Amino acid sequence: MTTLDEFWRVRNAAAVTLGLCEDQMRRAIRDASVEQLVALLETFSPARSTGPEWTRTFEPLMERLWAWRDAETMTALAAFFRAKGVPWMAVANALSPGRRADLRHPAGARLPAFTVV
Amino acid sequence: MGLVQGAATIDRLRDEIQGVRYREATTTFCRLVTEEARPLKETIKAAIASAAPYVQVPSHLMQLPSGEMRGVNYDHTILGWRGAISLMGELGGARGILPNVQAMWYVPQGLNVWEQVICEFPGHYARDGEQCGKRFPGPDEHVNRFDGPAWNPPKIYFEDHAPIEGGSMDDRLSRMNWAIAEGDKAEAYGLFLGLAKDRANRQRLKDAILFAGITDLQDTIINRGGYQNIGHKALRARALVDIADYLGWDDAHELIYTVVPDLGCSPRLYGLWSEISTICRLEMPQHASIPKRSDKPLTERELDILTEAIVWGGPFEVNAAIMGFFKRGAGILDVGDAVVACFQRYLIDVLENPHAFLHPTHALDYMNVVQSWIRGFDNPHQVKAVFMGARFMNDTIRSNANFPRDPQYSLESRHTYRGWSDSIAVDRLLPALKDYVLAQDAPRSCALVDSYLDRTTERHDLLDTITYAACHWQNDPHVMRNGASSLEEFRHNRTSRRDDIIRGYVKHQARYVKRAPTHDCYQVYADYFHPAEALA
Repeated sequence: MTTLDEFWRVRNAAAVTLGLCEDQMRRAIRDASVEQLVALLETFSPARSTGPEWTRTFEPLMERLWAWRDAETMTALAAFFRAKGVPWMAVANALSPGRRADLRHPAGARLPAFTVV
Repeated sequence: MGLVQGAATIDRLRDEIQGVRYREATTTFCRLVTEEARPLKETIKAAIASAAPYVQVPSHLMQLPSGEMRGVNYDHTILGWRGAISLMGELGGARGILPNVQAMWYVPQGLNVWEQVICEFPGHYARDGEQCGKRFPGPDEHVNRFDGPAWNPPKIYFEDHAPIEGGSMDDRLSRMNWAIAEGDKAEAYGLFLGLAKDRANRQRLKDAILFAGITDLQDTIINRGGYQNIGHKALRARALVDIADYLGWDDAHELIYTVVPDLGCSPRLYGLWSEISTICRLEMPQHASIPKRSDKPLTERELDILTEAIVWGGPFEVNAAIMGFFKRGAGILDVGDAVVACFQRYLIDVLENPHAFLHPTHALDYMNVVQSWIRGFDNPHQVKAVFMGARFMNDTIRSNANFPRDPQYSLESRHTYRGWSDSIAVDRLLPALKDYVLAQDAPRSCALVDSYLDRTTERHDLLDTITYAACHWQNDPHVMRNGASSLEEFRHNRTSRRDDIIRGYVKHQARYVKRAPTHDCYQVYADYFHPAEALA
């Protein structure tokens, strides 16, 4: 596999696979209760994270929460983590309305321009 | 300049240091050099001697009543002097005095660290880190008594000792290294003093103390609290070697007293050293014969691989990348230079939170000790030290990455301001850069440096500008230490990416959290040394 068009084919195949994963994730996030979302976000505590590779996915997850959940849910999540105090301020700040992700949705793109990794 | 009563004397300087009267001590220091025409070297030596009995702690771990442990900070007074003495030559003239005045300003604030962390003595740790003023306020609620002066004399946790003499050089060096590893501070210190008396021993003694410092390094700081040393054993050893060379070894007794006992202080951590020794023995049994330089430095692709491993990978990816370079014939400094350059992408591209610079830049300073040791000495273990430095860098990056990114500290891209910086005349870039570093505007500072690097081949004045601006900030010896590390590594780096060291340096100095918002120390310096006149 040495030509540019072959590289591009492989890249496109990977993008299709990732798109299918995003569809699954979108449905799961839309169906989740606030309690389930809290449980997911709590895995980003430094004491509970499985490591930096997991914690680095916090930002992409926040983008998807802002894209796929309503303001009421986000407000409830922000209030929950703000009440947990200083160690959770980064999470609470990421959930605050003033920090709403400014997602781009390029014309013709199937999904917003999410952070991949 | 306010009216100062009484003569400036060395005794007065000593009393002000030990009484934690840092503003007065700084004024006396400046008066000794200007009004009394005392040599700067002699005045620095007096300041080090005044602090020496009071910088040791019983341990760098303190058991709390709950049974848990907390860390006890390392002495930073001597690290400020090391950085300042190094930067003096870089800045030159009256400007070169500024880092020394900053080092002096910090010294009285850095004594008796053990008492500071339990709020029983004033200083930087009690006032800022522990917030003792809120927990144990004095009678006047508007005065923070932990800013000094001291209400008790400082404690001595390790008395001065006599030199230990007799026996062969090899035997005494071996005993000293083992005493450090075993935590026998008195034996290590006595042996060092005895060995240091003979000029013929000094090169091997320097090599041995640097080796002792470099090998004592935690394997991770992730969720470790105080059970780490973030490279401080190596940093102290380097400070000893450099300052003794500056003062003269025959005038270095108090300096040795300041540094050597702490190398044997708890905790002593050899897990990472053991791991790296094992993998080198298994994979590269001939590692002691790897040359310092080769005709096979890292390619651009290899620099990308190493960047990916250090900044985004895990510890075993770092091991594998570095092992691969050595096994295909790269030299020790070829790889060491690459580690320093590749690490910069983390400072340049990733770091935003001003509080998150501290540990990664300790790793950079540790790597500088490693590199200077490799450049200046011959030791069969030097290949391993390159692994140690890269692993330390990677671990601090992973430790930071274990915390979710806080959008409160989002930083604009440097590229946003590139058009603006390119529109400024080249001869106005450096004055603008000084202003934006002082304003702590990292995106514009970085854009100005990018523009300058692309439009000129001049580097000395650029580094001078960043360093001089950075040295306006008080209460923090890390500034001088990191300045010294960055400038030294830039000068020696042979990779195609050496300019990244300047890009990382300016990002650090324009973004790293500051310990005071004012420039009182700079003002004292300016009153006595008139830097504007010196420039003219």
